[in-house]
Amino acid sequence: MTVMKTWQGLVVLLAVLTGAAHAEQNMTAIPGKIMAPDFALQDTGGKTHRLSDYRGKPVIINFWTTWCPPCREELPSMNRAWHLLEKEGIAMLALNMGEDEDTIFIFSADYPTDFPILMDQSGEVIEQWPVKGLPTTYVIAPDGTIAYRAIGSREWDDKALLDAVRALK
Amino acid sequence: MLIAPVAFVAHAQVQHSVNEENGLQKWHFIEGDIEIELVQRLPDQSRALFMNHEFSRDVIEDLALSCMTQTIIRNSGKSGSGQAVSIDLTQWRMQHNGKTSGIKLKEQWLASWSDEQASPAAKLVIRWGLFPTQQEYLPDDYNWGLTTFGIPPGSVFDLEVSWQEGGKPRSGKISNIVCAPDVDKLK
Repeated sequence: MTVMKTWQGLVVLLAVLTGAAHAEQNMTAIPGKIMAPDFALQDTGGKTHRLSDYRGKPVIINFWTTWCPPCREELPSMNRAWHLLEKEGIAMLALNMGEDEDTIFIFSADYPTDFPILMDQSGEVIEQWPVKGLPTTYVIAPDGTIAYRAIGSREWDDKALLDAVRALK
Repeated sequence: MLIAPVAFVAHAQVQHSVNEENGLQKWHFIEGDIEIELVQRLPDQSRALFMNHEFSRDVIEDLALSCMTQTIIRNSGKSGSGQAVSIDLTQWRMQHNGKTSGIKLKEQWLASWSDEQASPAAKLVIRWGLFPTQQEYLPDDYNWGLTTFGIPPGSVFDLEVSWQEGGKPRSGKISNIVCAPDVDKLK
């Protein structure tokens, strides 16, 4: 009986551990075809990005700061995701809130990213979006409407998440 | 006749733990679909954060000594119902030294400073660094932020938390939360 209970315990433990290792990554679908607020922001290299210029392709937009722990946590997986999506015509923009180029430059030594980092130094752009806390990520459909929202960090190179973005094309 | 909704008082599971590396304490409240984590934050950790932004020295000290925790609220979606969890921090109550009060919210901090005490850029750190006062979480959503309780380092208090789950009011209690001590108490 004791052996049986031990095995049952191990099976439950294995199921929990397996579930934790392959935890499904979800986003919230946003109904109602709400247009994403447009913006024009410079990236850390001085190039101006307008959201409307990306019309026709899905865009992942991540709001973050360097001092937000979960923002830092998800950046490596975002970078991995971008390397997968870049060739597929899917854009990714990280909107840093309230910090300057020097701060982001120093930070990027520890958290290198290859996708554009846009600077919303005054915080005016983030106020136009329905963001309550950081990080928050939106997926914009090719027609410029908000398709998905994720509050908190995610493992962005998760196949289920990326397939949901790919399906918008 | 109007019938006020009665809050379901949860017999929640509260896990208390101590980080072996840094000695900081954590309280993890789990009930239904909501999870609330409060992690002690040393006043020096807060000083280090705010000194990098344009706050005056007195404001940095006020913030650092305000019993700040790192707070995480999550809709775990464990029930499988897919229902939203929403919070309103104005409804949370703390008991300290026999008195009941609300917690100190970002709106109160922001209203108390002149531009000389906290620049517009510094205020953005509070606007986005302190926990949102109201927020709705769908399954798998979670948020991180700082929470201040407005009592001295080392204080002990109870926190009555409340939330709505699928539109129904719920509440629970986290007892004996300890504010992190200041450096002089660590020796």
